[in-house]
Amino acid sequence: MAQPLVKKDDDRDDEAEYSPFLGIEKGAVLQEARVFNDPQLDPRRCSQVITKLLYLLNQGETFTKVEATEVFFAVTKLFQSRDIGLRRMVYLMIKELSPSADEVIIVTSSLMKDMNSKTDMYRANAIRVLCRITDGTLLTQIERYLKQAIVDKNPVVASAALVSGIHLLQTNPEIVKRWSNEVQEAVQSRAALVQFHALGLLHQIRQNDRLAVSKLVTSLTRGTVRSPLAQCLLIRYTSQVIRESATSTQTGDRPFYDFLEGCLRHKAEMVIFEAARAITELNGMNKDESFEEILKIRKTKFGPSMPNIKA
Amino acid sequence: MESCPSIKNILLLDSEGKRVAVKYYSDDWPTNSAKETFEKAVFTKTQKTNARTEAEVAMFESNIVVYKFVQDLHFFVTGGEDENELILATVLQGFFDAVGLLLRGNVEKREALENLDLILLCLDEIVDGGIVLETDANVIAGKVASNSIDAGASLSEQTISQALATAREHLTRSLLK
Repeated sequence: MAQPLVKKDDDRDDEAEYSPFLGIEKGAVLQEARVFNDPQLDPRRCSQVITKLLYLLNQGETFTKVEATEVFFAVTKLFQSRDIGLRRMVYLMIKELSPSADEVIIVTSSLMKDMNSKTDMYRANAIRVLCRITDGTLLTQIERYLKQAIVDKNPVVASAALVSGIHLLQTNPEIVKRWSNEVQEAVQSRAALVQFHALGLLHQIRQNDRLAVSKLVTSLTRGTVRSPLAQCLLIRYTSQVIRESATSTQTGDRPFYDFLEGCLRHKAEMVIFEAARAITELNGMNKDESFEEILKIRKTKFGPSMPNIKA
Repeated sequence: MESCPSIKNILLLDSEGKRVAVKYYSDDWPTNSAKETFEKAVFTKTQKTNARTEAEVAMFESNIVVYKFVQDLHFFVTGGEDENELILATVLQGFFDAVGLLLRGNVEKREALENLDLILLCLDEIVDGGIVLETDANVIAGKVASNSIDAGASLSEQTISQALATAREHLTRSLLK
């Protein structure tokens, strides 16, 4: 990797113009992508070309259907390389290209192989790519692996499967709901973010069942919450339970209110903020009053360390 | 109301408001020109503020935008108006610090563009389809730079440098022709 040239001091024009992508042009880069078809792949060169393609897309360039298909097919050849850096770029590229159903078939077996790889980085990312491009049929084929991944020892793999589950719940709810047991187990995970993702997914699976949500909230408010993010979720769900509670008596909801108030003493600022907001909204304040109240709480609790609010 | 905290976009713009790397996770801006309009507006609105020592927050078109600037780079994270801004700030900080680690302290536009692959991989490891994947900068940078995941453990500075050195060998050479 070349070091940057000696910086010119006040040559602002030069600095402003500088870019490794200066003069980049879609047609030329698409031509360059032909190297993906070489029998002897040069991983560094291929990574370079993918970066340029991603840069183009990021800048708002579009591919025609024909161009996208050609690039996609060329990219699939890169699965032959065992270079890990290149494989990461291939995953990114596939997600960007959003292949159609018949294109997806070409990469399915490669991705499924990666999903069962000994290299955890491959597993986590292959899961995310597969779930992004899958349809119901493919999903049933890989379901078994996703359920295993959810309770995997490696938290990155587990999170990948859980987050994918949250997305898939929108399109294939009947399938994802079958993973309840595994998701439930993941909520008990000692890995902070795995619990967060599992909690998010479990709540969404159960959200039409008021009693189930209430039970979930009760057990967790008494259990161990391992991340501020998970705590924020719990605050949101607790508010929901209070709002929807049929009896709506103070005594019935007391433990839930106590939990919210307890969160005001949490060490993470995001939790205090979330709890303050929940409490003020439950007290019937509208958004503006709630906002004022939160500002007061913030001032007394944090002083200058909070980010400034600019209207 | 969206129960799970949801990120709408993460933007890395230069000191003129032009894109270095951006990622959108919401349908609020369906066309590229809608996105560019938003970026221009957000950039202009925040340009005069001093978000260099601390992150700042702005309300904008019924969205909350948290942002931070360093050198000639402007970092933005956007969420809906009901979102917890401190969650957004945590994502921003994670992105900001991870980029700092990956660019080995040279957080400026030129360095970012020369290492665009790392920046894009970094974004990919922070948010997935709008859901926060990871907020710890050490873990994020570690996932981008290393060849294997250290289950649960954060990487020390030294390990990251080693991993980055290896990654540099493996990844793109200078894109200067």
